[in-house]
Amino acid sequence: MSVFAIHRFATSTDAQALRAEVRAFLDENLPEANPARRTNCWAVLDPDFSRRLGEAGFIGMLWPKRYGGHERDPLERYVVLEELLAAGAPVGSHWIADRQTGPVLLRYGTEAQRRKYLPGMARGELYACIGLSEPGAGSDLANIRSTATRVEGGWRLKGQKVWTTNAHDAAVMLTLLRTEHGSERRHGLSQFLVDLDLPGVEVRPIVDLVGHHEFNEVFIDDAEIPEGALVGVEGEGWTQATAELALERSGPERYLSSHVLLASLIDAAGPEPDAVLAGVIGRLAAELWTLRQMSMSVAAKLASGEDPMVEAAVVKDLGNSYEQALPIAIQAALGSEAQLADGSALAGMLAMLLQSSPSFSLRGGTREIMRGIIARGLRLR
Amino acid sequence: MSEQQALLVESAESIFESVGEATFAEAWTAVEDAGFGILLVDEASGGFGGDWADFYAVMREAGKRALPLPLGEMVLGTWCAHRAGLEAPPGMASIAVEVNGEVRDGHFSGVLQRVPWGRRVNAVVAVASGRAWVLPTHGARIEARTNPAGEPRDDLHFGKAAATPAAVDVDLWLCAALMRVGQMSGAADSALAMSVEHANSRKQFGRVLAKFQAVQQNLAVLAAEAAAVNSAGQAAALARDRDPAGDGAELEIAAAKLRANMAVGTVTSTAHQVHGAIGFTEEYPLHRLTRRLMGWRSEYGNDRYWAERLGVRVARLGGAGLWREITRRSDLA
Repeated sequence: MSVFAIHRFATSTDAQALRAEVRAFLDENLPEANPARRTNCWAVLDPDFSRRLGEAGFIGMLWPKRYGGHERDPLERYVVLEELLAAGAPVGSHWIADRQTGPVLLRYGTEAQRRKYLPGMARGELYACIGLSEPGAGSDLANIRSTATRVEGGWRLKGQKVWTTNAHDAAVMLTLLRTEHGSERRHGLSQFLVDLDLPGVEVRPIVDLVGHHEFNEVFIDDAEIPEGALVGVEGEGWTQATAELALERSGPERYLSSHVLLASLIDAAGPEPDAVLAGVIGRLAAELWTLRQMSMSVAAKLASGEDPMVEAAVVKDLGNSYEQALPIAIQAALGSEAQLADGSALAGMLAMLLQSSPSFSLRGGTREIMRGIIARGLRLR
Repeated sequence: MSEQQALLVESAESIFESVGEATFAEAWTAVEDAGFGILLVDEASGGFGGDWADFYAVMREAGKRALPLPLGEMVLGTWCAHRAGLEAPPGMASIAVEVNGEVRDGHFSGVLQRVPWGRRVNAVVAVASGRAWVLPTHGARIEARTNPAGEPRDDLHFGKAAATPAAVDVDLWLCAALMRVGQMSGAADSALAMSVEHANSRKQFGRVLAKFQAVQQNLAVLAAEAAAVNSAGQAAALARDRDPAGDGAELEIAAAKLRANMAVGTVTSTAHQVHGAIGFTEEYPLHRLTRRLMGWRSEYGNDRYWAERLGVRVARLGGAGLWREITRRSDLA
């Protein structure tokens, strides 16, 4: 019995040449940064870097050229993402637009929506956020209470979203709201594009435990949006939004976002590490290599048009566990750098990840939700 | 999976299933008649012409059923003898990669250590220092040993046994590690299937175990570990076939055996936890899988062995070099 169908990953073009292109770009454009800000790098905002990446053609790679995209192969995009993450590049500003919002608009959006948002997204200048969670709807997403009510020429919105990553940096929020009054659970929900500079929309920061501002609360108080802001079909929001989650869970960011810490450990250990450190490096490398095979398999399944819902949950769960075990294992094996206060790059990254990594199995679907999806794949529920 | 591999797996499934209750000799005859021994020998030489992905797939089927035969050892031994230009070993054969002693003037004196099923086979293909030779077992003094699952792992003592070594360029230890990954992957998938089936039938507190969230979450973890082992094993077998770096996929097989080893604790303990006391009995077949997993974890490289070997190799690559190396290898494959 297996819940993980293995798919062969093969790019249509020369992957080595593409990697060389991305590495050359990174050599030129990767900003000097505090090493700690290279961990969990898909959460690090850097609009300037995103603009340059867009200019180089590495955002919106799959999108039609008429919307500013580049019509590349999905597995080529995967190769580019791998390279960016492995280098610890600050890809946070454009990540959600490129990964989720853009593809949703291509799948469900109107021509006007695509023309309004996609070119700016592909240039790395227009960023998006996802408004799903609410104070009463976290893992229990179907408990959404925020509403959109039909009015003359559009919709009037009321409610509150929370844990909205990068809302303070984004121009637009793709959100899920209740459009059928009195409806319950998965019924009567619809997706909308809400421009965050609209009157009646207020973004307030939530500072996390390491002092970073990634999360926000978004208050919506009688904001009015035009008819054309509805995405897809009224009442089909649940299906549309959950289809988007497979994209969110399967990417290489689920095991590669803090690879710079492992690389830094290897450099600090030198070419002839003692047996203890060699053992730790070997174990982490084995897990990294295995997760990469699994993530590539999911990418290949997605590229072939199938829905890897269960496989994506497996990769996210194992990837989160690996990225949480990574700093713990390194802290346990180090000598004096383990004091975490010597100012070295390794200590800085390690201290940051020890604190930030518990969040990895909370965001994008909790560990318990992932395991529930796997259990459904096993037909236990 | 190629059509040829699908047929091979189908035939392995039905034969391995049929020999469940047979004696060793009967089971061996059935497997030998099916021609699995020549799986890796090329067609031009009268073999099956299978590749490492085929070998891995057959080993998975063997592992799923805890096949009580040294089938993989036979396949590797036959292939290795062929590569060395030696006569194929007669009848049942096993392999020895831990050799204490040497061949001098056409005779081997010494010990072949921990030979799988050494007491049952007719011959052993031994490999050491770039040379291979075939030894019939009838002249050996056999020191019987077993792994935790009760599978024979015998020390074979030879005194001046006639031996004709030939140069061979195979890392049999590495191939044997891949063999065990295949068996471990199959056994883990079977342990998962048994656990799910048990959870769907056993009732407590008025409902089947499968309806308890705690049980569902544990089984999900078991499934994820089993998936990791198979993903690693399949990728390693594919890498061995394509051998992009020309080193027999050493890095990939090292990573796969280590990852399989790392899964054993969770897989065995979770399967037993879900089964409760019934899974702990001699009568119930779960232990045929879990005890083998525990034994196979140590064979052809335990966690420490592969972690250090892989770690030393990775350290030489350097921090940026690790990523460059694993991507280069998979891109070229």
